[in-house]
Amino acid sequence: MTRTMSPPRSAGTKAPRPTDTLRSEWTKLRSLRSTPVTLAVIAVMVVGLSGLITLAVVTNHRRGAQVVTDPVGILQSAWFLGLLAYMVLGVLVMTSEYSSGLIGPTLLATPKRMRVLTAKATAFAVTALVTGEVVSFVNFFVSHAIASGYASFPDPSLGDHNVLRAVIGMGIDGGLAGLMGLALGALLRNTAWGITTGVAITFVLPLIFNFLPSSWSNPLLEYWPTQAGSQLEEVNRQAHALTAWWGTGDLTLFVILLLAAAGYLLVKRDA
Amino acid sequence: MIRVSNLTKRFGPQLAVDDLSFEVQPGVVTGFLGPNGAGKTTTMRLILGLAGPDGGMATINGVHYRDLRTPMREVGALLDAKSYHPGRKARDHLLALAQAGRIPSRRVGEVLDLVGLGDVAGRKAGTFSLGMAQRLGIAATLLGDPPILIFDEPVNGLDPEGIVWARTLMQSLASQGRTVFVSSHLMSEMALTASRVIVIGKGHLIADSTVDALIKGSSATVVRLRTPMPEAVIPRFEAAGASVQTDDDGALVVSGLEPSAIGDIAFYAHVPVHELSLVEASLEEAFMELTRDDVEYHAHGGATALQPPGQYGSLPPQASWPSGPAVR
Repeated sequence: MTRTMSPPRSAGTKAPRPTDTLRSEWTKLRSLRSTPVTLAVIAVMVVGLSGLITLAVVTNHRRGAQVVTDPVGILQSAWFLGLLAYMVLGVLVMTSEYSSGLIGPTLLATPKRMRVLTAKATAFAVTALVTGEVVSFVNFFVSHAIASGYASFPDPSLGDHNVLRAVIGMGIDGGLAGLMGLALGALLRNTAWGITTGVAITFVLPLIFNFLPSSWSNPLLEYWPTQAGSQLEEVNRQAHALTAWWGTGDLTLFVILLLAAAGYLLVKRDA
Repeated sequence: MIRVSNLTKRFGPQLAVDDLSFEVQPGVVTGFLGPNGAGKTTTMRLILGLAGPDGGMATINGVHYRDLRTPMREVGALLDAKSYHPGRKARDHLLALAQAGRIPSRRVGEVLDLVGLGDVAGRKAGTFSLGMAQRLGIAATLLGDPPILIFDEPVNGLDPEGIVWARTLMQSLASQGRTVFVSSHLMSEMALTASRVIVIGKGHLIADSTVDALIKGSSATVVRLRTPMPEAVIPRFEAAGASVQTDDDGALVVSGLEPSAIGDIAFYAHVPVHELSLVEASLEEAFMELTRDDVEYHAHGGATALQPPGQYGSLPPQASWPSGPAVR
């Protein structure tokens, strides 16, 4: 060997802090090309879909069809794609550690496992929330621009009642969907299972609840976390639904419980 | 120093690590040998806190791995070479690990140069060969310049030049006073690399000694004798208590007698001797003698050892290695 190395040092150097783990997780997130690509695809899908729906509704409106009472609902109907994508991305952030084997070096660098989960969740939640808000606002303004060409079409502005809250709410729900996916990924440690479970919770189970007798389905859907959370995206309060903030609290609590369970198992299980 | 005391790990009904105790000292390369399934990787995972023991404990400098203040600066460990995201550049992979360990990012370039991956630092790690993956894994262990290094099968997939490189690196790391603990299934490699060996089989300790002592203590003296008149001496050797086999090329392989005694017997029998040489037992043979009863998956039938190599092909796939030396 042509080079020399410094002799072994004693362990007198500074201990890593939680912020060091957070920096590491942020590096992991940004150093994968799939992260920005996926986020860009989310943006194009959501904005494109709600733009198309707006165009269709406006065209129908000009032909004399019934006026849409809730134009923000158009944005929301496209936003489910965004929620799905954030959820899947969240699952992958966690399960790719297991499928690639990176979880080994990760836990060797940071044996405090709760710290790893916290850092991962923070880095990803912030990314999902910030990009979610950007997409949500772009989405609003694109739809707004399409609809404003038609004078008789109800064209909400951000100043209208609850419109700003609904637009911001979609970004928040994107972040929460991402965190839910991340927690499921940590619990199940398997991409396919994580995504399947996430889709079941978010889309399939609420759909099934609809077929139950209303004495069952109304309270179930009222408190079902993802249904309750989506109330933040509504301009007008729905029947048999929590208020926007109680609903968001419901979903947030659910996500926190999932993360706590994931953390407990991460510490308890062999990596 | 790594200390393992009464370590036990169960996977369901199976004991993967069975009341295992040993110490790994600084300043030398310590090999960790055992047949496949002997529990080498599990033991290393227990030492590193990646798995929890069912009994006993493993400590590093007196504390559990998870309680180390600066883990990456105290221990560098490579368990599986391809433990990285294939879509991440080698440089970013190491940067993320360095940041987690609060290690300055300039160290990333240093270790990449050190393992010879400086030119491919910007390439996605998924494009790496197994040999490059091993180098990247070794680079990660050196990030914190730690005094204790643990490698699980580090030469797997390396080309001959890479094997020499890894061997030299490990020995130089040990000569700097570091603790180097290396598992391998390549006995011959360990004979060249390690000075101490810990041998386990079915999760329990079989031997903990120096390589030299293990080889010397392993078997009776074996002597190779070449003579044009073998039938004249074989009965005399056997009468003296030796066992004699005939080699493929006609030489006699005599075990149980010193070379001097064999030479004397041949002399008094008036038999010309063309070759008389001491056959040193290899670490491989010593190892297989030790672990014969502890190999988890034997090749079917004990007779395989005596069959010519060509017939191995007709046997069921061997889960571990040959169950015995070809010539005894």
